[in-house]
Amino acid sequence: MSENHADRTVEIILTNQIGYERIAMACSASFAEMFGFPKDRIEDLKTIVAEASINAMQHGNKGRRDAKVTVSMIHRDDTIRVWVTDQGNGIKNRPPSPDIEKIIESDEALSGFGLFLIEQLADQVEYKENAEKGHVVEIALKMKA
Amino acid sequence: MQNKNEIALEKQGAVVILKIQGDITSFSEPFLNQAYKNANDQGTQKILLDLEEGAYINSGGIAVLIQILAQTKKNNQQISITGLSDHFKKIFNMVGITKFADIHNDVPGAIAAMSK
Repeated sequence: MSENHADRTVEIILTNQIGYERIAMACSASFAEMFGFPKDRIEDLKTIVAEASINAMQHGNKGRRDAKVTVSMIHRDDTIRVWVTDQGNGIKNRPPSPDIEKIIESDEALSGFGLFLIEQLADQVEYKENAEKGHVVEIALKMKA
Repeated sequence: MQNKNEIALEKQGAVVILKIQGDITSFSEPFLNQAYKNANDQGTQKILLDLEEGAYINSGGIAVLIQILAQTKKNNQQISITGLSDHFKKIFNMVGITKFADIHNDVPGAIAAMSK
């Protein structure tokens, strides 16, 4: 993140427990409101932040109660960038996009909805490894879809 | 931080309405499954899930709802959903839930459509 935009930055450290993602959601909504994001994009951002945080807690940190999830946000040029960092090793095999018809017709496993929603709602998603911090999901959301 | 749901059953004509209070997450699974079982005990073929407006729904909750849809499909039941914000209407469409459940703006509209 650029130091030039430190005044437009938020960082939250979450306990690795499902439910804490709501704190990041609320914070992301307030942050987007500050910059005049429309209601529909704020709702998209809330879902993106919630699902990325849940994935970090469950799949990245594998539910470890001593682990943390860090959610950082920056606003620049009508875009909010979000970094969700866990202390795991990243996703080795990303699940395929869920196929609801197969799931319903043949009891296929229910997985991959979180990533699917993030990738559908965001304008850009990247998965990165950070030697110092851990696994990072970087997401960009523009003010207008 | 486990949420719980309070679910009331109400019958209007041939439709059993499950009025679901609370957020829809993975923690909703036992509450929704029990409510669905109770609806089945009434011998219904038409079920309306009336979600609380403004409720938080995450991917875990979507998975629970899809499990209910799978059961209704197997049991040849008709299922509809009300109480969704525009955002979650979009999400349910993206995920494909709308292929298996009709979405209505309100309970009277849903009951009218399901009674045809």
